[in-house]
Amino acid sequence: MKKILIALSLFLSFNLIKAQDLVKKIPSNAFTVATIKGDNVFKLMFVKDFNESFVGKKLLTETSKSLDKNFTSIEDFGINLEKNMYYFNQLSDSITYNCFLIPIKDANKFESLIENKEKKFTQQGDIRTMVLPDSTSIIKWNNNMLYFVTGSIKSSFFADSAKSARYGIKDIRFMRDDAMATDSVAVDSAYATTEAPMVEAVDAPPIVEKVKVQKKPAVKKNTKKPVSRKKSGKKKNTKKAKNTAKTNPDFDYSTTSVTDTTGDMTPPDSIIDEQYDTYQQERAEQDAKKKRLAFTWMTAQSDHIFNGTYQSIETNKSYTSSLDNKAIAELWVSSLQDVYNSIAPEFGTYGKAGLMKGYGSLNAKLFMDDKSFRISTGMELSQEQADSYKKILNRKLNKKFLKYVNSEKALGFMSYSIDTKAYLEEFPKLLKQTYGSFMGAKMDEEMNLGADLISLLLDEEAVSKVIKGDALFVINGLNTKEVTYTSYEYDDDYNQKEVTKTKNETLPDFLFMFSSEDTRLINKLIKYGVNKKLVSAEGNIYKIMEKKSPIDIYFQIKDGIVFFGNSLTEMQGIQNNQYSSNKLSKIHKQLLSQNNFSFLFNAQNLVGKVPASEIGGEETAKKFNSTLEKMGNVYMKSNPVKGRLVSADISAEIPNGHENALKYLFSLIENAAK
Amino acid sequence: MNLKQFYKLLLFIFLIPVLSSCFEVIEEISMKNDGTGDVTLTINLSQSKTKVASVMLLDSVQGYKVPSKQKIQQELNEAVSYLKKSEGISNVKSTSDFNNYIATISFSFKDVSNINNITKNILARQKIKATNTSSYTYNKATKTFSRKYQAIGTAKTEFNKLKAKDKAVFNGATYTSIYRFESVVTSSSNPASNVSKSKKAVMLKSSITDLINAKINVSNTIQLSK
Repeated sequence: MKKILIALSLFLSFNLIKAQDLVKKIPSNAFTVATIKGDNVFKLMFVKDFNESFVGKKLLTETSKSLDKNFTSIEDFGINLEKNMYYFNQLSDSITYNCFLIPIKDANKFESLIENKEKKFTQQGDIRTMVLPDSTSIIKWNNNMLYFVTGSIKSSFFADSAKSARYGIKDIRFMRDDAMATDSVAVDSAYATTEAPMVEAVDAPPIVEKVKVQKKPAVKKNTKKPVSRKKSGKKKNTKKAKNTAKTNPDFDYSTTSVTDTTGDMTPPDSIIDEQYDTYQQERAEQDAKKKRLAFTWMTAQSDHIFNGTYQSIETNKSYTSSLDNKAIAELWVSSLQDVYNSIAPEFGTYGKAGLMKGYGSLNAKLFMDDKSFRISTGMELSQEQADSYKKILNRKLNKKFLKYVNSEKALGFMSYSIDTKAYLEEFPKLLKQTYGSFMGAKMDEEMNLGADLISLLLDEEAVSKVIKGDALFVINGLNTKEVTYTSYEYDDDYNQKEVTKTKNETLPDFLFMFSSEDTRLINKLIKYGVNKKLVSAEGNIYKIMEKKSPIDIYFQIKDGIVFFGNSLTEMQGIQNNQYSSNKLSKIHKQLLSQNNFSFLFNAQNLVGKVPASEIGGEETAKKFNSTLEKMGNVYMKSNPVKGRLVSADISAEIPNGHENALKYLFSLIENAAK
Repeated sequence: MNLKQFYKLLLFIFLIPVLSSCFEVIEEISMKNDGTGDVTLTINLSQSKTKVASVMLLDSVQGYKVPSKQKIQQELNEAVSYLKKSEGISNVKSTSDFNNYIATISFSFKDVSNINNITKNILARQKIKATNTSSYTYNKATKTFSRKYQAIGTAKTEFNKLKAKDKAVFNGATYTSIYRFESVVTSSSNPASNVSKSKKAVMLKSSITDLINAKINVSNTIQLSK
């Protein structure tokens, strides 16, 4: 019994520790969540090491200087470094909140950070609040956490007078009565011509109309931007008008009054000035109102985060399933479709919802370990789309390709494999899903028709036999080739004589291949090319007769594979079945054969291979080689579709002699700063 | 992917080494005793023809627009027509070889001072600031040929503002000037210059980077036997 109790309490305390993770404070409707995992970071690098590192020292001395204190460790900031730090944002139609949640270890230390700056904070219970100058952000903290929020009002929301009126906010535009009657272009042109006849300005309505407060929502759509444009334009013109008046002492006011039908004597420039002043004043008032409103909302939001009870993001399955406890940092965006929809109103009429339909959440994770950096990205799709992708990606790279990769020499390769038939069948569907709503419901029929038309015109089956859908591009090292060039020699009289010299050029040998079951079409094409003298044949190897090309390109068909390459010897080797490197490393084999897409760049195989004379001298060559030496292998690969998730990884190995990727990164930064 | 795109893709791989190129600029002046003479300007990129051919397939490289063959030809033609209109200049010819990437312009002059400013003006027409001021004089009475050369200070600073990658383009590029005479050369003031075996020609070779950085001065005073 006792044991059970102990176990239970242990379990509970474990949960308690976990409960303190600030993720609980992130509301379930958060749109983006970014995490830095303190414990994982400081597993790779002790706090002490960090303090002593170049970056750490820089950070400490800079903060010490700016705050007039003496920090010796990042622990002095009072932050709990073993816990996760979060950023999230929340979007609504009227305001966007950008929020940070930072775990606190020692609130006093944190307070001492800010108190010197003569910033005051208020305290209620153990919750302390500080408002940053000009009230754009709020910081709230207690002994365990710190919350920082900054909100920005959405202009599109307040452009809608019905909505903004609810908050007592008016939308202000600078416009005069007559201009309103016509259009804004007329206003501009009227003022652009101030230089010439002053009379023109007199056309303005003499009675100083109060700055127009727009009430017609129809005109509202183009609010903020046009306003600011008009504002600046107007200002300039007003000044101009003023100047003209001043520099022109002979200005005849009587003329003004003659043309001035209503008999108002106010000079036109002052009318505009006055109008503009009123406009600015009113605008500033409305802006202040918006700011106050934003502050009220932010205050409520931050109180809610601290004291309210609500569902946390942990109830969001998409979020929780995106996590990986080995990651150093994580990013999650709720859905691509939502991203689009949230910015869509800013696009005006084009911002139709529904574009990017089917694209769900996005996530990215950063990993660092003793061997490499790795970024893993993923995107959730709708079931329908995921099924399409599964069909398309249902192909593996032709195994015969593998013997043409030489891991010992290869500078890099890139491969992909898709099912051409499935691709051609699924592509119109995907296109329709993604862009269909953009075209509008009216276009639905046309979209369907288009999709059918493609199917009708293309015999997917037949096409997929010609191009099966897998391809490999590989560079198996560098080769030296002798090339001729023209130079000059000089006789006893220094008369010029043209001579042909030779030199060696180092060029990479590439090989590109794709599978083809049905080569009849390609053979016909070759025949056509030969007839038209676009291609020359040397046995079964063909050369492309392209004058412009700086290199020779050969191609051939062999064992259901179409090869392209720039080395005749390699091509001949393939033709005679003598080309087989059998030097494919296990890692490369896995990379190529298990993924639909793979990429490798092996910088090490390039180190010292390019003669200095061809890079531009010893010095450049040295730099070039040392950069390469610092680079490990860089890989990219796509992962198989899992459920509704498509994902891909990029990883970069770190060179030998470094403890782990984080420390290596720090050393790189240090080197770069030197 | 059409063939052009395929080539472009290839180029990224073929241009792995930084874009350095060897090219020669040769300036030849043949002076007659009466003060008239001929000039031939040659720019020879054939040592780098693989790279040049590659670059020509691109629209731009390292942020610089690559001129098309037509554009180069057109500019060459413009230079020729400009020369034809210039005072004292006749017999203007140009050649261009787009297989080896060699271009020449040749012409005759009445007096060597006719060619002063010509290069500068041609460059100015292409909106390129000249990197030096250079002037030639020939004194028939004393039989002295002289070239006054002054690198413009801004050229050096402008050049040093370039990225290392861009500067590398000039590594290995050379400038050669050859002056030929009907009379024997008795002295040539520039220590970097060489007098030919026949003593009737003077040659000066330098790297273009040294010229821009003003490490070498190509000013020279050549005295001919009277």
